[in-house]
Amino acid sequence: MSTPLRYFAALVIGLLLSATASAAPRVDVVIGPAAPKLERFAADELAAQFKKLFDAEVRIADKIPAESQHLILLGSPATNPAIKSLGDAFPKLSDQGHLLRSIKLKDRPALVVSGGSPVATLWAAYELGHHFGVRYFLFGDLYPVTKSELKLDGVDSVLEPSLRMRTWKAIANDEDGWIGTGYFGLDEHQALLRQLAKLKFNRVFIVTDPNDSFVTYEFKGIHKSTATIPMEFSVSGDTSGRGAFRGARSFENPDYAGRETHADRIAAGARLLRGIIECAHNVGMTVALEISPVRFPKEFSELDQNVNLGKYRTLSIRSFTDPGDTVPIQLSKAQIRAYVTTFPSLDAINFSMADWQEGHNRSEAAWKRLDAQTGIGRQVSLKQLIVAARDRAISAWTTKPPMFPGINPDEGESTIQNNVTALDFTRALLADRDLLRLPAERTAMVGITHLDSSLFPYLDKLIPATIATEIPVYFASSASGKRFAETKKMIATIPADRVSCDAGLSLQDPHAGVLPSVPTSALHRLLEELRSRQFRGFSASFDTVGDLDFSAYFLSRASFDVKVSPQTALNELLTPVCGEGVAERVQRAFEMIEQAAALIDENDANFSVPLPSVVASHPVDVEDGAPLPEWVGKARDLYLNAMNEMYRANTRAREGGRAFTLYFARRFEFAAEYMNCLEAVRKAGVAKKKGDHETQVAELEKAIESLHGGLNAMAAVARSSSDRAIIAVLNEYGYRPLKKELEAAEKNAEKGRK
Amino acid sequence: MHETSFCGRRLLLFAGALILLSLAANRSNARAEDWPQFRGVNSSGVAPSTYSLPTEFSHTDKVKWSQKLGDGIGSPIIVDGRVFTTAMTSEQKFSVFCFDAATGKHRWQRDFDTGKLPRITPPNSHASSTPAADGKRVYVHFSTLGLLALNAADGKMAWEYKLPSPAYLMDWGAAMSPVVYKDLVLFNQDDDLNPMLFAVDANTGKLRWQTERPDMLAGYAVPVICEANGRADIVVAGTGKLKGYDPENGKERWTCNTLPRTLMTSPVVRDGIIYISVQSYGDATRTLKFALLEWLDTNQDGKLARPELPKEFWKRFDESDKDSNGVIEDDELDTAFQSRDNQAGGGTTIQAVRGGGTGDVTASHVLWNIKNRSPSNISSPVVVGEQLFVVKKGGLSSSFDAATGKTHWELARIKNIGDYYASPVAADGKIYVTGENGFVVVLEQGPKVNVLAKNDMGEPCLATPAIADGRIFIRTRETLFCISENAK
Repeated sequence: MSTPLRYFAALVIGLLLSATASAAPRVDVVIGPAAPKLERFAADELAAQFKKLFDAEVRIADKIPAESQHLILLGSPATNPAIKSLGDAFPKLSDQGHLLRSIKLKDRPALVVSGGSPVATLWAAYELGHHFGVRYFLFGDLYPVTKSELKLDGVDSVLEPSLRMRTWKAIANDEDGWIGTGYFGLDEHQALLRQLAKLKFNRVFIVTDPNDSFVTYEFKGIHKSTATIPMEFSVSGDTSGRGAFRGARSFENPDYAGRETHADRIAAGARLLRGIIECAHNVGMTVALEISPVRFPKEFSELDQNVNLGKYRTLSIRSFTDPGDTVPIQLSKAQIRAYVTTFPSLDAINFSMADWQEGHNRSEAAWKRLDAQTGIGRQVSLKQLIVAARDRAISAWTTKPPMFPGINPDEGESTIQNNVTALDFTRALLADRDLLRLPAERTAMVGITHLDSSLFPYLDKLIPATIATEIPVYFASSASGKRFAETKKMIATIPADRVSCDAGLSLQDPHAGVLPSVPTSALHRLLEELRSRQFRGFSASFDTVGDLDFSAYFLSRASFDVKVSPQTALNELLTPVCGEGVAERVQRAFEMIEQAAALIDENDANFSVPLPSVVASHPVDVEDGAPLPEWVGKARDLYLNAMNEMYRANTRAREGGRAFTLYFARRFEFAAEYMNCLEAVRKAGVAKKKGDHETQVAELEKAIESLHGGLNAMAAVARSSSDRAIIAVLNEYGYRPLKKELEAAEKNAEKGRK
Repeated sequence: MHETSFCGRRLLLFAGALILLSLAANRSNARAEDWPQFRGVNSSGVAPSTYSLPTEFSHTDKVKWSQKLGDGIGSPIIVDGRVFTTAMTSEQKFSVFCFDAATGKHRWQRDFDTGKLPRITPPNSHASSTPAADGKRVYVHFSTLGLLALNAADGKMAWEYKLPSPAYLMDWGAAMSPVVYKDLVLFNQDDDLNPMLFAVDANTGKLRWQTERPDMLAGYAVPVICEANGRADIVVAGTGKLKGYDPENGKERWTCNTLPRTLMTSPVVRDGIIYISVQSYGDATRTLKFALLEWLDTNQDGKLARPELPKEFWKRFDESDKDSNGVIEDDELDTAFQSRDNQAGGGTTIQAVRGGGTGDVTASHVLWNIKNRSPSNISSPVVVGEQLFVVKKGGLSSSFDAATGKTHWELARIKNIGDYYASPVAADGKIYVTGENGFVVVLEQGPKVNVLAKNDMGEPCLATPAIADGRIFIRTRETLFCISENAK
């Protein structure tokens, strides 16, 4: 090549390179020189999002560059001198308030991404991603279908929460909670927590159980030897939906896999919980543990030989016979200290007043002590409370509210007696100032949960102002009109303006169990009530995680904007990532799911709760050959129609967002098949009673085929251990028992033919 | 021995030369013991093998070897002692593998960047196509890459032939497979936009001919060869019609208009007779329009607006919107995507059609036709011995006399409830039926249903097994297993 040609070639290459370089927009993010860790993290998150959104080249620095194409100032006046220099023009923000504001900085355009605290600044960074169309789901982020232009001018958004405590129950460590996050290993928990931070949740709540594997301790020479972990299910051999397990032979929590000894299990459990706490702190969330101060592992029954183990195979203080016995107090302190010392970085402990033991009554003595300390007796007597508890229309937290099937006034009486005893006991515990002492002069914040609704009007008398109360309105998320009306009345009795109150919200209908539940319109109505009653916030609990993407998003947006409705939120969530025409179909589908869930709620409390009897008991329940009640068919049709709507939404969501739409289409297909299964099981039961084994066989085959089809549908989109847990549980409690039933029926049919 | 005449010697020499030529020709084609394409020789699903095949096996029992591959549902093929198969080995990487059939030794692997992947609907996989091979090359299809020919010996690219990207109104995604006939690679791409039958020169990768199939909708039947009436036809099943084409030029020779709308199955041919089993959702009146209004009409107003369709179909939309009112409805909708002359609806049928016809053979060549009595969600048939066997969702099987269509048994359970995407295959007096749940049910070949074994392969399985040289090759969702009586 001749020299001029070489020059020319070099020039062309140089021009091409410079053209390529200029194609990527450059963004300068300026943080304070001593920016806190969370603000640095916010800058990194923002840079990663801009790279994906705009293919931008992002530089993070602590000084304003001389020149910049796009300039962002990130932090607060307290942490970033560049923002402080804006002076009085900068609005006053609360510690949770955050803003995005386009400004001129000496005639240079810039965008301020700021919060009233480091975590609020992190939320501001995520809000900027949201502004550009990034949507945060529990399973991950989705980016907009249409790339928007990188424009930092014209932005002005100030956000302050109306609900300041936004809690997510990360682990409900009980039997029913295992299809939730009980099978999440630390990796899966961490991924979920990172998404929750993007949705501006600010607390993680972990429900412990006396038998769990998080702590061990010794009291009076007795070692805690129980360390339960989520049950291991076989998923080898003939397993419906086995594709979800990708060749694994069994399904279990990976962090407990192979942990056979007590010490191993405790080590694994402690590691898991420490990891959750650490991760939550890293993304700006606080962590609360729920501990029962009145329940203990069964091995401590050696302290008193006269006790009976209760429903949850635990010992309770009510089992101790001597009212003056200090042993329970000491035992309780040992248990609590075990948590405090094992997890010294935790932030709060909520004491659960739940006590399911049916023991002798210590409540009268406890009431006298409470009265002596608080003067509560001048407002109400224990007798009046018991009458109220027996007559209540709805319970705050028991699973069988009287207005629904399974009514049991005795349970109300027992609950109030237990509450009074537990409150008295907890007051005695908290008299010990060292009980909740943490390293570095910290003390865990205290909360009280699981109080009966008959106590609600007296909370300001019973609970010291320094203690937060979580008011469990777990049923309020049901779309059932009756339940909501009663819940509203119940909430109205709470003096939330005088005590620090969070509402315990169930994001799934209490009896949805393995079935899908998206009760967003009920949540909307409830949030309006909470705001009007001046609640501090909410604590969201759930059974299964996969259904909750929209509920979590709605709670997030509605907490900062009172105008947000389910319709506007759904449109805002889906349109950027799925395109036009999707949100409307999804909304219709979700409405039908709410209606189906309300039908179940009002008619059959244990319809789909993941217990051994969930499917197989239906033949046994047959009375006089009755078919399934009409409402079951209605619920099935609702699931079916919701499935159709979601498939339509899915075909429309072509360029992205199908992770959301297809998941729900398959989830609703599962629900419809589940109902088909139950219908066929019932018919098989009817045939069995009549001795018609041929029909029984045919119906059982239909039932098995439906359940198999449903589980396969779910397996195709299963993306979390919660989804896999549903599949594993229903194989264990549904598919396999039905196959055994079929084998027996076939033998009978064969005999009949001979 | 009588002395052979000069003339006789010349004849013997000629015959010998013919045999040698024939042998030489066969070296470049598949051996009889091979399983050279989807469902083996001429896609029949029947192995000519005389080896004894295992009845009871599993993912841990009688496994000669296994290889972890990656996601895929295309079947393995076997030619000249080599197994070829495909998988998605990462999000946008498609791989073709070659293993030694006897030992599982990894011979070669060729990886391709796929680029942005099209939309598909589970349980489909992007690695859904089954390769075909002729001893020299292995031919592979991938939706974004087209047809690829790799040298069988070392995996090096021999040629590639770009094809239009298939487009699906319902986003099912591609799952068609190439087949080899003589020196042609045949590939039928029935999609919802440009359905077409391609014949590509196996040696050069040049297009020999292509035949438009404008009255077809998305379907997945592989072409099969029917030798009858002294000639060979390429037979392709599609929307409403079974058609025969001239292998020389792709011209349509005959059509038999007895099929429903959507073809998920492939026909098989034996002794000049074509057998097919098909199920298409709904009854005979359910044309494509009704499916579109059910699933694509997002706002359920009974009309289709442009944004309700995938972008690939917007041009067709504009052409179909005759009155330019921004929606297609009524008559416009009838013919926007389905040919006016081929308004096939849903239905179920199992039928036998005599090959070798000319023109419209609908009235003349259908030997028997079982309509709407046969199972739904049906598999492709396997015709072996006297029987035609099919299986459907739920593990319901049926068997008919291949000659008469008379029922051996109908809707009998094979004790494996679930879906059936793989086609049944037969050899050694047995029929192997693979369920999506990963169980391979083995039945005795014959007119009475007799389940011999139910074998767990440990993972879901959508691929049709392959059989060659006494080995069964089972490709589960992630893994390839070689099953053999001789396994330790």
